[in-house]
Amino acid sequence: MKRLPWLGAALFAAGLLVLWQVLADRQFISQVFFPSPSRTLSELYRQLASGQLWKPLEATAFRMFYGWALASLAGVVLGAAIGFSRTARDYLEPTLEFMRPLPASAVIPAAILFFGLSNSMTVAVIAFGAVWPVLLASVHGFASVERQLMEVAAALRLSRAQLFLKIAAPSALPDILAGARVSLAIALILAVVTEMQASQTGLGQNILLAQRSFRSPELYAGVVTLGIMGFAINQAIVVLERRLLRWRGSHE
Amino acid sequence: MRESPAAVLSLEKVRVAFGGRPVLSDISFEVAAGEFLCVVGPSGCGKTTLIRMLAGLLAPTAGSIVFGGRPLAGTSRDRAIIFQDYTKALLPWRTVAGNIALSLEAGGIAEPERGRRVEALLAKMQLAHAAVQYPGQLSGGMQQRVQIARCLAQQPKLLLMDEPFGALDAITRQTLQDEIARLVAEERTTVVFITHDLEEAIYLGDRVIVLQSNPGRIAEMIAVKIPRPRSQLETREDRRFLEHRHRLFGLLQDAEG
Amino acid sequence: MKRILRGAVLPVLVFALWEAGSRAGLLPMDTFSRPSDIVLAFAAGVSDGSIPLATWLTAQAALVGFAIAAVAGILVGVILGLSPFLERTVGPSIEALRPVPAIALTPLTLLLFGFGLRMEAAVVAFACVWPVLIVTVAAVRGIEPRLLEVAQALELAFPARLRKIILPAALGRIVVGLRVAVSISLIVAVTVEIVMNPRGLGYGMIIAQQSLQPALMYAQLLWLGLLGWGLNALLTRAFGQWHGAFGPGVSP
Repeated sequence: MKRLPWLGAALFAAGLLVLWQVLADRQFISQVFFPSPSRTLSELYRQLASGQLWKPLEATAFRMFYGWALASLAGVVLGAAIGFSRTARDYLEPTLEFMRPLPASAVIPAAILFFGLSNSMTVAVIAFGAVWPVLLASVHGFASVERQLMEVAAALRLSRAQLFLKIAAPSALPDILAGARVSLAIALILAVVTEMQASQTGLGQNILLAQRSFRSPELYAGVVTLGIMGFAINQAIVVLERRLLRWRGSHE
Repeated sequence: MRESPAAVLSLEKVRVAFGGRPVLSDISFEVAAGEFLCVVGPSGCGKTTLIRMLAGLLAPTAGSIVFGGRPLAGTSRDRAIIFQDYTKALLPWRTVAGNIALSLEAGGIAEPERGRRVEALLAKMQLAHAAVQYPGQLSGGMQQRVQIARCLAQQPKLLLMDEPFGALDAITRQTLQDEIARLVAEERTTVVFITHDLEEAIYLGDRVIVLQSNPGRIAEMIAVKIPRPRSQLETREDRRFLEHRHRLFGLLQDAEG
Repeated sequence: MKRILRGAVLPVLVFALWEAGSRAGLLPMDTFSRPSDIVLAFAAGVSDGSIPLATWLTAQAALVGFAIAAVAGILVGVILGLSPFLERTVGPSIEALRPVPAIALTPLTLLLFGFGLRMEAAVVAFACVWPVLIVTVAAVRGIEPRLLEVAQALELAFPARLRKIILPAALGRIVVGLRVAVSISLIVAVTVEIVMNPRGLGYGMIIAQQSLQPALMYAQLLWLGLLGWGLNALLTRAFGQWHGAFGPGVSP
C-alpha cells in the first residue's frame, strides 16, 4: 500500500490544531493568551471577507517592496562599481564591514530625528537595512568574475558596456539573487518594525493594536498573515532564481 | 631561420621578464601565412606566456612583435585565442549557440546574419544537436569544440591555441586534432599551437619549435616535411615522423634538465 | 598596512567633515550633533553607568535568547536529523513557523510576559532557533552512518550517544549555525528594545532621541555598531570566515 508522503505531516499538524482547540475550549489554556484555532481562523476569514485585510496588507507590502527595490538598485550599482575596482574595495570594505553587523533597526531613532514619524522615515530605514545584503553580495559577485572570462572579453574586444551586460552581470547574478532574497526578508521585518514604531497602517500595526486591546484572535490572525506573506515572497524568489539560474542545475 | 616575404607574424629578440625574473628570452621566429606552427616544451618553459603575449594579453619587456605588417599592441579580434581550461573560458549561463554568438555580438553583427553564421558554425563543428544545451551539460571534448567554434566565429587571421587538448582523453584528443587540421586547412588560417605533447606537435605542425626553460629560449626549430592530409595511424608510423621524434625527444629531455 | 590606512580614510574623513560642518553651522545641531559632543556624551554615559548598564541588559537578553535557541535548536535538530520519519511528520509543522518574522511576535510575547527580560529573550530565541535547527538537522543527517552503527553496537543510551558520538561528529557544522544565531541575537534584541521593550541600548537610543539628546543617541548607536563589529570579528577569528558575503542577516 503506497503511503502518501505528506499524509503523516498533515495528520500531525491537524492533530496539533485539534489538541489546541480542545484545550482552549475546555479552558485548560487561557483563551486570552492562546485563542483557539477556530477563533483565529474565523477572525482571519472575517478580515478577508470584509476587505479589512487588504489595506494594511497592501500598505506593508508596498512599503517593503519600495524600500527593497531602492535598496536593490543602489546595492547592485554600487556593488558593481566597488566590486570592479580593487582600490575602491580597499577604501570602502572596512567601512562596509563595520556597517554589516549593525542592526538596521538601530538607525530608527536617528531616522525619526531626521524625518519624524513619517513615510520617508520608514522608507529610509527599510532601504538602509535592506541595502547591505544585496550590496555586499554584489561586491562579491562582481569581484569574483572568472578571470579567464575577463580575458575572453579582452580578446574579443568587448566594450565596457558589453563587458558589464554580457559577462559581469550574468556572472554576478547568482550572488545578487541570494543577496536580494535576504534583503527582502529584512525589508519585511523592517516594514513591520517601522509600522509598529510610527503607528502607521499595516499588518504590524494591526498586531500591535490587537495586543493593546487584548484581542488575541486578531493578534494571532495578524501573525499568521505575516507568516503567509513571508512564505509567499520567499517562494517567489526561489521560483525566480530557478528560472534565471537554469543553467546551474546542469553543472556536473 | 628562413626569411619569408609572406610572414604574417614575426618576433624579433623578444624578452619577457616578471619583476626582474626572465621568463622568455631572445625569442625570434617568423610565421608565414597559412602556416601551422607548433611550440613544444616542458612545463614552465614559458610557452603559455608566449601565446598570451601573441594574443596581446601581456606585453613583452623587450623586443618587437610585428603582426600583419604592424607592431602588435593589445588584443584584437583578428587574433583568436583558445584557452586550455574550457570550463573557465565559456559562459556557463549561455547555451552553446549563445556562446558562439558572443564573438559575433562583439563584432557588431546583428540578426539575422548572426543567426545564420551561428548555424553554419554549429554544423561545421558538429554541434548542431547540442545548440540549446549549456556548457555544464557537455563533455570536455564538446566544450572545447564550442570554444573553437566561438574563435572561428571571429574569422581570425591568427589562431592561437594554448594546449587546447591537454585535458581531454586520448580518443577525443585525436578526433579534435584531425578536426582542427581540417578546419585550418580549409580556411588557410595561420596557427600557433602550444603543447607539451611532442607527438601532437609533430603530427599537427608544419614547423615545430622546441623551447628550453629557465629562461624560455628556442632550442631548435624544425620543418615537418610530411605531406597533408595526415592520418593518425599512418603518419605516426612514417619514417620522417619517427626521425623528427627522435631528434626532438632528446632535446626535450635536455630541456627538462 | 597600506590597506589598513586606506580603509581608515573614509571614516576619518567623514568624522572630520562632520565636526567641521557642525562647527561652521552648516549642519543643524538638533539632528546632526557633532563628533566631539558625541564622544563627551559617551564618556558621560560610561561614567554615570547608564551605558554599561544598558549594554549589559541588551547583552543579557541576547544571551538568554541565544542559549534557549541553541539548546532547543540542537536538541530538536538532532532528533529530526536522526529520524527521517519524525522529520517528515513533525518537520513541516515546525517549518510553518519559520516564515513568521520574529518581530511580529513581539506583541504576543508582551501579552504573555509583560515588559522585561523574558519577552525580549523569547523573541530572540524564536529568531535564533532557525539557523541552529536547520544546520543541526543537516549536520546530523550527514554523520557517517558507520559511526551511528558503532553507537548502536555499543548499546549506548541516548544521552550518552548524544554526548559521545552524535554531537562531536556534527559539531563543526553546528558551530556555523550557532555563529549566525549569535549575530542575529544582538540584532533582534536591539530591535525589540526599540519597538517596545523599555530596557537596554535600543531603548536608550529612543529615550535620547525623544529627550532631544542627539549626541547621546549617536553615542549609543556608534557604540552598538562597535559591539556588533567586535562580536563579528571575534567570531571570525575563532571560527573562520563565514561563507556569506552578504552577512549574517536573516537566515535565508
